Parts: sequence; structure tokens; C-alpha cells
Amino acid sequence: MKNNISNKKFTGAARYVLDDELASIVNVSMALEMPLLLKGEPGTGKTMLAHAIAESLPMPLIVLNVKSSMKLVDALYQYDTLTRLNDSRFGDSQRDVSNIEDYIKMGKIGQSFTSKQRTVLLIDEIDKADTDFQDDMLDVLDQMEFDIVEIDKTMKAVHRPVIIITSNAKKDLSDPFLGRCNFHHIAFPDPKMMRKIIRVHFPDIDSNLMENVMTTFYRMRKIDAVEKKPATRELINWIRALKSDPDFKPKTLIKGDIPYLGVLFKKSQDYECAEEATSHGHVI
Amino acid sequence: MFIDFFYSLKNAGIQVSPTSFLTLQKALDMGLINSLDEFYTSARAILVKSERYFDVYDQIFAHRFEGAELSEYQGFGIDDISRAMLDEWLKDPQALAQALDMDEAELLQLTPDELIQYFKARLNDQKGRHYGGATWIGTGGSSPVGHSGHHPGGMRVGGISRNQSAVKLALERRYKDYTRRGLLTQDMVGEALKRLRNMIPVGSEDQVDIDKTIYRTMKNCGEIEIVFSKRLKDRLKVILAIDNGGWSMDPYIPVVQTLFDYARDQFKDLKTCYFHNTVYDVLWEDPARANKPIPMEHLVAFDPQTRLILVGDASMAPYELMAADGSIHVKERSGKPSIEQLKSLAQIFPHSVWLNPASSQMWDYTPTITTIRQIFPMFELSLDGLEEAVRHLMAK
Repeated sequence: MKNNISNKKFTGAARYVLDDELASIVNVSMALEMPLLLKGEPGTGKTMLAHAIAESLPMPLIVLNVKSSMKLVDALYQYDTLTRLNDSRFGDSQRDVSNIEDYIKMGKIGQSFTSKQRTVLLIDEIDKADTDFQDDMLDVLDQMEFDIVEIDKTMKAVHRPVIIITSNAKKDLSDPFLGRCNFHHIAFPDPKMMRKIIRVHFPDIDSNLMENVMTTFYRMRKIDAVEKKPATRELINWIRALKSDPDFKPKTLIKGDIPYLGVLFKKSQDYECAEEATSHGHVI
Repeated sequence: MFIDFFYSLKNAGIQVSPTSFLTLQKALDMGLINSLDEFYTSARAILVKSERYFDVYDQIFAHRFEGAELSEYQGFGIDDISRAMLDEWLKDPQALAQALDMDEAELLQLTPDELIQYFKARLNDQKGRHYGGATWIGTGGSSPVGHSGHHPGGMRVGGISRNQSAVKLALERRYKDYTRRGLLTQDMVGEALKRLRNMIPVGSEDQVDIDKTIYRTMKNCGEIEIVFSKRLKDRLKVILAIDNGGWSMDPYIPVVQTLFDYARDQFKDLKTCYFHNTVYDVLWEDPARANKPIPMEHLVAFDPQTRLILVGDASMAPYELMAADGSIHVKERSGKPSIEQLKSLAQIFPHSVWLNPASSQMWDYTPTITTIRQIFPMFELSLDGLEEAVRHLMAK
């Protein structure tokens, strides 16, 4: 397995532009077999990174979308009592009612442990869950095993999954949690990087459009009153919208006439601010 | 290896753990780190667990590996302040000239660096603390410089660019914007208040209660009977009382607004009231404090489990708090001094806190803050303060 790891290095994927810094952090984390915790503005590609790793290595990707009401055991396995109850009453299924194991279904973490292949496990938006969930989960990921109480069986990971954890929170996660992860904060891409990203998504983009879009976008990010500034995701969607509009001409952007503001600004307050700032035709 | 580096990070207040240091050694042993650039990124990913400390890390890295000077005030970065001030001032050279006691023409001849040097010299000249007054570097007061001179947006010096050596990157201090003294945003308030909840079952019965289902089924001689129960939902009652009167709260309006905005969509059962400086006979339900009074006696009828959060700078003339007719509003004349009213509020609602937007360092200088702190636990209206306050509110 060791060889397996060192041979495989992550160098980016078809739809993901990787900066050197992040590449070396991903590779170090994979080699050290530690989870990588990613923070950063929403829309800067935290989730996309896991997709890119899975695509380029190639490994199957398992996504655990964390919800606020989630309990750790939901992520590990589920014991389907109702089906068992039903089977015991009617007895017309293939399952063996006396064998509880037939009624255990693996959750997302469980699946990544039992998979025959090494997988990428993406734990998305960990900050939504409470602190206990986070700490308990890290115990499981540290030990690479968990117990199924109902059948008194310990599930051990066949292959250690590559674990990517994302968090949107400005708040710190608990110390024991952080102690077990490597950490990276994805900074907002600078214009040079952003051009690369756009090229990856729109290989045939007209350079005139690109320049106008870039200038306008970075100017829009500078509007102070806006709370949620548009990020990479919004920019890409916006370009997609602009490109699909046959009437749109790049020149109009310079004049301060900006279509599809709603793609960039999703809060009504922000939208109004942006509209206010651009509508008078003056440069922001 | 790099033990000095580890300790200088630790001394700078970054919470680096020995375990993570060992992990770094392991990474070095495994031959994963082959250049200074890789060391910079890997060491940061392994040792530093919050983007808030990235800036300090950059400074120390630059110091350790390039001999860059550490800023004189560790952890605060006087350079940032002076630069930010400079930025502000340059919009208004006249004010700058006045503050530095020279005329505008003279000022224009200085380069920015000289200007910062000059500013620092002035800062060093001035030993001891200035408080209030219209003199120049100090806290409060009407001078443009001092405590509130901190520039919350953070000024990006140098800008971001890739493909440079690690030391250069570190020197750029790209992560300055994330240090702890940022503005309190809605997200952060949300995070801090998230733990403030009280789960009780509500709504329709749509969740299968397995234990009861099995029990009922057995009772039914094996005929399956599925039992549903209600979901647990948050039903915490909160009263948020905000000091919205007078000019003393004006500087804090954006922060309080954020808290208020968040509270409005977070808590289902939220009552917002207003008061001016301190609470007398009534709390007001309307921001204008004119039409909808809630008399103190009515508050007794509220659920004592309600969390009471008072927000105010607690700064006023002592008689407003102590005197029986202290209220500056003529109509409020019950004869009870405000301090008694506050005490009974604290009795009605055992889970209560006072959030003060003023910096906790300043609290000791205002007598009324000291008095009110004896009645309500007081916390700073900052991320850390909020977290402590929430912890206090949820304590049994």
C-alpha cells in the first residue's frame, strides 16, 4: 500500500486548476495519511478539490454531506430495524432474520472503509454538525475502525481513504479535532490564477470577453457594502450566462451595464447594493 | 530539527502541539519535503490550524529563515496600524498634518516610509496611556488616532501573487486579513450563537420511534404497529434588549446590527426590546421607545428559562444608574433607581448576560460598567466574548 501511495501524486485534474502550494499540501497529507481540513470563502473550490483528486488518481469518491441534526452513527452504519421487523412478521424476503448483519447498511464513512479500493472520502461542511460529532468522527478516522454495537463487530478500514474535510465556518473547530488534521486555507484566487481557472472551464473564451469580465468581476468584489462577495463559482456561472445570451456584447460591461447581476449576488440586499453601484453608469 | 522555529511559533501565541511537530518530523523523514517552499507550505498545514495565525506564521517564518525583523509589538503588528492609519490619512492630508503637528507642505515632502518612522517616533515619545481628551494618541476622545484607529478591513500590502519563493510569500503576509481582530460578521455571530438552543419535540409526528414500535408490536402479539413521534426542534426563548439611545452607542451600530440580524432569523421565539443607557420602569418594544412599553411587572410572567441578552455599552453618568429619579426621561418616575430594576431583571431571568461592544480593556475606566458587571455577567461583543456568553447562557 505504501508504494501505491508514493507512486500516485496529485497534480491537478482536467477541470481543476491547482496551485503548487495546495498540491504539496495534498500530497503531504496523503503520504502522512492524515485528513486535510480545508477552509476558505464559499465558492473557492473546496469541494471541487476532492472531486479533482478522485478524478485524477483515479479513486471512487464518497461524499458525506454533514447536516446539523446528524449523529455519528448515521455516517457509519444504519441498523434497519423496521425491515427486520417486517421480515420477521411476513418472512418472504431473501434475508435471514436471525442474522442481524443482513440488516446493517453502511453509511458513507462505513462505505469508504469497506470499499475494496482506496477511496477519497469528502466530508463536506463539517462545521454544520456540533462539536461532539466532530470529535467522535475524528476518533473513528484516527483509529480507522468502528464498532457495530448490534452485532458486536469491529469494522476495520480495508484501505485508509484519502480524507478531505471542508468547513465554511469562520469559527475554529475544536482543538483535538484540529490536532488530527492538516489545515489549509484556500485564499481567493488572484486575477492571474482566475484567468487560468476560466480558461479551464471555457477553453474557447474570447479574450475580449475574458478581460472585460475579469475587470468587472474584481471591481464588483470591491463594493464594500456587499456581505457575500461573489466567488469563483459565481463568476463561472456568470460567464456561462453571458455566453448563452446571443444579444450580449462584451463592450456593454465597460459602460457599466451589467446583465445577470442575480447570478453574482444572491442576497437581495447585496443585489440592491450592486445594482445601485452600477446602475448610474459610473465606474464602481 | 527546527526546534527554535517551533518555539518561536509557540511564543508568538500560535497553538502548536508537540504531536503536530512530530508529524512534521515524520514528513521530513519520509522525504516529503525537499525545498524551502515545500517546508513553508507543509509546516504551515501541519502546525498552524487556523488562518488567523497565518499572518503571524508568515512573520515568524520570514524572521527565522530570512532574518526579517519582527514587528515591535508582537501579535499586534504596529506596522499594520500605522500603515492603515497612513492610508486613512492620505485621503485627508490636512488632518494628518495637524495630527503630526507640521504643515501640509512639509508633510508632502516625506516618503511614506519616513512618515511611518516619524509616526513611530511620536508614538514612542509618548509614554503612558492617554484616555479621552482631544490630544492625540490614546483611547476614546475625539482625536483621529488611537484605539479605534485599527482598520478593520485590513489593508493588503503587496497583494497576492503566486510562484514566488516561500520567504517572499511569507514577507508579503498574505493572511493579514484573517487575524483575530476582524469585524464581527453575520457568519461569525451565527457560529457563536449556534450552540444556544433548547431542543424540545414539536411539529407533526413523522419520525419512527423504534423502541416504542417494537414494544407496541410485541404487545400486539407480533402484529406490526409502527409508532411515530415528534422531531426535536429548537425552541429557545430569547429576549434581546438593545441600548439604541444616545450617541454613545453610535460607533457600535454595525456590530449590534449584525447581532440583531442574525438573532432575528436564528431564534423562533425572539423578543427584541430597546432601552436607553439602562433599564428603568419599562423596556420598549418599538425602536423609537415611545409607543409600546413593556412594564417591568409584565416580565415576571415570562418563562424564567428565557435567555435575556442585554446589549449596551453600560456607560452613563453614575446618577442615571443610582438615583431614584435618575432617568433622563421625565415620564419614568417610579422612584426605583435603575440599579434595583437591573437586579430584579437578573433575578427574573437567571440565564442572562450583558454584551458590551466596548473593548474589555476599557471597562475598568467607566464606573457604571463596574457596577453593572456585578449584576450581570458581562462579555465583550466580539467573537470570543460571544462564545463565552453562550457558554454562560447554556450552563445549567
